Amino acid sequence: MKEEKGLVFDIQGFSVHDGPGCRTLVFLSGCPLHCPWCANPEGMKKRPQLLFSRQKCRYEKSHCRRCLSVCPHGGVRQTGDPDNPLEFDHAICGKCTTFECAKACAHEAARISGQYRTTGEVMRILRRDREYWDSQGGPGFSGGEPMAQPAFLKSILTACKEEEMNTSIETTAYVEPDIFFPIMEKIDFAFIDVKHMDSDRHAKMTGVGNERILSNIEALSGSSWKGRLILRMPVIEGFNDSLENAEKLAAFMKKNGLFEINILPFHRLGTSKWEQLGKKYPYAEYLPTEEAVLEKLQEYYLDQRIACYVGDDVVY
Amino acid sequence: MTKQNKKLAEILAEKGLGLNQRYGGGENSDAITEREKLPYEPTKRAKKLMDLYYQTLASTSTEWTYWYTRKYEEMDGDVQIVRRAHALANAFRHVTTSIYPGEILVGGKASYMRGSYPMPWLNQSFFAAQKDQFSDKAKGNAQREADKQAVLGEGGGNVTKDMPGILSLAGKFGVRMEEVSGLNKITDYWEGKTVFDLGEKYSARVPEFKIKNDIGRTLTARPDSAYTIPVGREVVNYYYPLAWGWDKVVEYCDKRAEEVAGHAGGDGLRGMDRLYYYESVIILVKGIQAWIENYAKEARRLEKITPDEKQKQEFVDIAERCQWIAHNQPRTFVEAAQLAYFTHIALVNEEVASGVSPGRLGQVLYPWYEQDIAAGRTNDHEVLELLECMRVKFTCMDLFVSGSSTSVLSGNTFNNLTVGGLTRDGKPACNRLEWLILHAAETLQSPQPTLSILWDEKLPEDFVLKAAEVVKTGTGYPAWMNNQVGIQFLMKQYGPEGMTEEEARAIAIGGCLETSPCCWKELTLNGKKYEIPGGAGNSTSIGVHFISNPKILSLVLDNGYDTKYGFQLFPPHNKKLDTYEELWETFCEYYKYCINTLLRCCNIQHDIHRKFDIPLLQSTLKPDCLETGYEHANMGYRYNATYNIETSGTINMVNSLAALKKLVYEEKKYTLEEMRDALHHNFGFYTPAESGNYSMGEQIKKDHMEQYDEIHSDCLLAPKYGNDEGYCEQILKEYEEWLCPTCRTFESVFGLPMYACQISVSTQGLLGQGCPATADGRLEGTTFADASMSAYPGTDKSGPYALFNSATVWDHSESQNSQMNLKLHPTAVKGEAGTRRLMDLAIAYMKKGGFHIQFNVVDSNLLKKAQKNPENYRDLMVRVAGFTQYWVEIGKPIQDEVVARTEYEGV
Repeated sequence: MKEEKGLVFDIQGFSVHDGPGCRTLVFLSGCPLHCPWCANPEGMKKRPQLLFSRQKCRYEKSHCRRCLSVCPHGGVRQTGDPDNPLEFDHAICGKCTTFECAKACAHEAARISGQYRTTGEVMRILRRDREYWDSQGGPGFSGGEPMAQPAFLKSILTACKEEEMNTSIETTAYVEPDIFFPIMEKIDFAFIDVKHMDSDRHAKMTGVGNERILSNIEALSGSSWKGRLILRMPVIEGFNDSLENAEKLAAFMKKNGLFEINILPFHRLGTSKWEQLGKKYPYAEYLPTEEAVLEKLQEYYLDQRIACYVGDDVVY
Repeated sequence: MTKQNKKLAEILAEKGLGLNQRYGGGENSDAITEREKLPYEPTKRAKKLMDLYYQTLASTSTEWTYWYTRKYEEMDGDVQIVRRAHALANAFRHVTTSIYPGEILVGGKASYMRGSYPMPWLNQSFFAAQKDQFSDKAKGNAQREADKQAVLGEGGGNVTKDMPGILSLAGKFGVRMEEVSGLNKITDYWEGKTVFDLGEKYSARVPEFKIKNDIGRTLTARPDSAYTIPVGREVVNYYYPLAWGWDKVVEYCDKRAEEVAGHAGGDGLRGMDRLYYYESVIILVKGIQAWIENYAKEARRLEKITPDEKQKQEFVDIAERCQWIAHNQPRTFVEAAQLAYFTHIALVNEEVASGVSPGRLGQVLYPWYEQDIAAGRTNDHEVLELLECMRVKFTCMDLFVSGSSTSVLSGNTFNNLTVGGLTRDGKPACNRLEWLILHAAETLQSPQPTLSILWDEKLPEDFVLKAAEVVKTGTGYPAWMNNQVGIQFLMKQYGPEGMTEEEARAIAIGGCLETSPCCWKELTLNGKKYEIPGGAGNSTSIGVHFISNPKILSLVLDNGYDTKYGFQLFPPHNKKLDTYEELWETFCEYYKYCINTLLRCCNIQHDIHRKFDIPLLQSTLKPDCLETGYEHANMGYRYNATYNIETSGTINMVNSLAALKKLVYEEKKYTLEEMRDALHHNFGFYTPAESGNYSMGEQIKKDHMEQYDEIHSDCLLAPKYGNDEGYCEQILKEYEEWLCPTCRTFESVFGLPMYACQISVSTQGLLGQGCPATADGRLEGTTFADASMSAYPGTDKSGPYALFNSATVWDHSESQNSQMNLKLHPTAVKGEAGTRRLMDLAIAYMKKGGFHIQFNVVDSNLLKKAQKNPENYRDLMVRVAGFTQYWVEIGKPIQDEVVARTEYEGV
């Protein structure tokens, strides 16, 4: 086993919505896209980051001052405002590598997202969890963009395949083909996100165009890859929820022999994570996707003979 | 099937993928649509009865108490067992037999739908203490009655406050004011004669007697095993009434009485007792027969005054059924179910008993089901309706116990019905009737009977999936028990009493999750032979009641001084505790001292109990009493080594030992003195008694107490059980490998080895209240982790798989049980795929060696809402410890704990 090191921001056993069976999901940090609706913003950067949850903080209730007393960088200060008594200076905390506050916080109010782990460490957890997966389950990789740490991901996948685990991935496919294909070779089940069919609009929202994504999908469907591919699209109001976009996507899918798509209603569960990072959530005011919009899109895809799953209702 | 799903199915079929590809499609092809609502409805009949139940209140009556006492007094001077038989039989003959319109199954503990009786012969001090107050209220209330408004508030069917004409007893039961003076008079009669009085009198000889009572007072353990619920946590054996009929039981006893009269039978100690035993059984059974016939009489009375023709016919049928089964072997499924139910009720009326469990009832009643179906006498719809009615009946069953016992039991009677398991020759034992029993729990959701599945690899998958689906109703049952681990435990414990592996396969769960010894009996129905399982052992979960493990550790740290109650509770050990090893050894010594102190007193209590309050009907029904003529006290049950030692707060103890080991002994960041100081000062927080809230998250810090912040934070950050890190797990393993064999070195009142029982019921709340702050960072008075294998709320941060690994570091078959409660968010088990995931999760844990796991499928937000607006959530049920209960009938500390339990949502 080739020992690599990578940044992981979560490992979740008993994950049931991101691939067939019960899975253990490994979340890798770092993403080339910057979608403003992102629900996992702590996974965007490829470095450990400080998260601070005001709800969990015991400053008021238990007069806890642990973070204040241990921080040598002057990153945290008292505001005097009872509703928001502590303030973390993210300009300072953003550069921090020692995170004394998170290590001293017993209430998980200040915590670090992103931990360096070795291939061996990840494999140890996967091997443990293997006893609990069902026949369909296995390890899954998400992020961030899992392919943004290719050497690390590849070393884990190689080990998984040596041990005959069923692997899954959720990816943007926004990587060079020479990274994409060797990784996909070791994947049994994939969700690939297509946020928009129009490259300019794609670039405007996510920071990158969609050409590389689409060409990777195209090449993958034309290849001898044996895995199962479901495209995924988060439904974002006023961005990609139009019928016009669906028509283009459906045409693209048919051209490439793809017949499954999973549309995900927008939700605001990521709001608190943005706040914990000290950032404003650009989509804080947006409402969850209306049922009618989802139904209309599903109807359209089904008429196009494309199996369209809404939300968690994917047929695995 | 919705239009969309039809299309989806077509598209997937074209591509060679079924919509239900994982289940092979077929009949359930519309499963994906809205499956989640589990759109099952009860039959109209059962729903009507259940609605009636929701309107009833827990009511207690003195009928039983009166008729029992009157005869008991009259029989003064006779042999004790005969005297008791007369008293019991007299009570059965005289209690009012009520029948409600629409019932198929009839009968109940008392005349009230949700009735129970006080039994002051166990302990009258509760009544005596409040006697004057009761009388005053009874007098005063009669005058003020008209002015009073009925106070019906939170708490579901609990009568928590006095109402016009009704006195609230033990914070839960209503009794009519006019019965109070009678109750007081009966109470007076029992003064000095109760199990409690005699038990205390003789256990005063135990040198540690005073400490025993102090242990109870300081909530260091639940002290008195025999005064509260002296029998129960056992599996009923319905064999004799079902296979022979009551008349044959009487005939048999007549014959045996003649045979044994005047013969010692080679047994100088017990042989002569046999005659009195058979005489007693005859007296008791005749009383029970009269009681069943009284139901027939009542049905005939109602038939005469009922205008509705359909209802009239139903009363005729009831009368005919009761008349027949009062004497004979039942002929039909309905008769068999009615007789089994009567037998069950008779058992819970003969003694204050919780956890009297039907066991594998679906296998017991199967012969009648099979033959009725084959003959076309009934169909599955009718059977399902009857099973629903039976659920209502079991839910109506209440148990009169004093306040503190109610808070331990959360008002539950634990009638555990077991499904699955194996037959004597090792084949899957589940059948169609058990499938219907599972289904009835979905169509009619009620707390009782609670269900357990004995999971074995041999069980067919569709059956196990059905069980998983039932869990999703949110009722929390069935609990999942590992059949093979249970069998291994039984063989270790009862092998010396002659249990074979084939017999061990008759295993069932008694009470909450008490693995109970059972046996097979051959039954003949219309010439066809069947083998049915049933209980064959004495009661369990008695002997030494719940010991507060964290409190023992606290006493170790403080040299036997109880810092919460402010006195020297245990004799000082005077050790410096310089090393972790010394700390651990001292813990073991104190623990054994606690067991020994409680056990010596409890053995005396149980000896008094078996001499005076002989469980005579149990001693009739359970093999091999009837054959041998030896009852309960004469060790007539086939298995008698059933008494146990119960623990509570294991995980807080493990986490505390871990924090001490790491912070004091390894890293030496704090001295033991500094740690003690922090614990004595409750880490600078107010106590819950001061703050009024028992959940950890709501504790309030005192001003200017920052000096404990660092140590508290270090204690909270110390290794915690449930994350598969190995540190706490090593401590848990060491503890279990010490505890389980240690329990076996203690001897019960029967002179037989005891064993460890590791369930919490609801003691994590009560015992937590009596425990000072602990080194795991838990604050004084707050609730312990529930169960014995669940992590402390919020400390299992690595998901269920890591938790499972942590829990299975030791061999669960060394203990009667272990308990794992898991809260799952409904989205994690949504849909048919979700049902399978739930099943897979349960099975994965058991394959790893876990004995028990149960689930609460509920969203915490809903619970919080229900806490605020209980009136809207009368029928919301949750899994508490080993049982299901209405949310509104649970005490606040346990509610807080259920809300706080880590919720697994899946991603």
